[in-house]
Amino acid sequence: MAAGPRPRKSFLRHEKPRRATRRSERRMAPLVPKSGDAIFASIDRVVGPMNTAEASTKSEALINAELFTLTYGAMVRQLLTDLEEVDVVNKQLDQMGYNIGVRLIDEFLAKSNVSRCVDFKETADVIAKVGLKMFLGVTASVSNWDPEGSSFSLVLDDNPLVDFVELPDTFQGLHYCNILSGVIRGALEMVSMKTEITWIRDMLHGDDAYELRVKLLKQIPEEYPYKDDE
Amino acid sequence: MIASVAVVGHQNNPLYLQSFTNANDALKLHHIVHCSLDVIDERVNNPKRSVSTLNESYLGLLYPTESYKVYGYLSNTKAKFLVVTTDLDVKDADIRSFFRRFHAAYVDAVSNPFHVPEKKIVSRTFAQRVSGIVKAFAAGTNG
Repeated sequence: MAAGPRPRKSFLRHEKPRRATRRSERRMAPLVPKSGDAIFASIDRVVGPMNTAEASTKSEALINAELFTLTYGAMVRQLLTDLEEVDVVNKQLDQMGYNIGVRLIDEFLAKSNVSRCVDFKETADVIAKVGLKMFLGVTASVSNWDPEGSSFSLVLDDNPLVDFVELPDTFQGLHYCNILSGVIRGALEMVSMKTEITWIRDMLHGDDAYELRVKLLKQIPEEYPYKDDE
Repeated sequence: MIASVAVVGHQNNPLYLQSFTNANDALKLHHIVHCSLDVIDERVNNPKRSVSTLNESYLGLLYPTESYKVYGYLSNTKAKFLVVTTDLDVKDADIRSFFRRFHAAYVDAVSNPFHVPEKKIVSRTFAQRVSGIVKAFAAGTNG
């Protein structure tokens, strides 16, 4: 994506691609052109076949949920073919999710207009009720808070990523939805919370729901790279 | 009462074969399914009507033999679904709805990213769903 006004052809060869910057630095960067927003706006919501009629009356562009599910399935399949080891694929999915999460948090905060969360409990509720609803179309429930209030369980009864999927026996160690754990980890890191996320229950392994354990490791206060007195 | 169901790919390779009778006549069922494929090819290459407008063709009764009747259904990807039944009189509408449900189960099984196209269907959910559809069919015709 080009930053700033459209560059002249002679500069394209010399122009370095812009690296993703921390949210704090980005505030001081030049404004991103509106065309970037339009690209992301077209994948605004994912709808299932039931509510496409209702959704088509809205002006936002939407994509079919089955396309999303099949695309994710194809991506996992390709990763397995390329990397061959289930653990490596799990790590790779987490890394991909992390990269998505650090970008997704801005879109989420812009679209949802939630105010600053007072404590971690509120963060958990916001993720489960607002975030997952906005991006996956499912609501999750928050449960099993530990006594210090630093870790909780996110339970999903329904997950559009895994429609039609059955894990073969050779890939039993695969965490198919590991991208979700990466997304949440990346998004929370961008709002200065370092977390660790593990899967407790997984429907593809025979359990009755999906359960993620989110543990807050520490809060990192934002650092401004520019000193005020210079 | 349905003796067996089979799914055959477009290169006439068997994708799924399941029998619901207790007898060990798997070989016989294979043979019947194989012969039915010839009948399907015949019907597909020489259509009775000059213009066949339907994409998913319900082929109907392929041929009655011994004590069995074989019904066929062709999807537009040339995947063939075959049903071998011992019932003497089966309503056309029942068989059609059976094939519709069978087709839906097949589509869900094939959408699994871990399913390799043109290889055997190993999905356990598919097997369960097919058994359910067969049971419902048997209950529907007997009740």
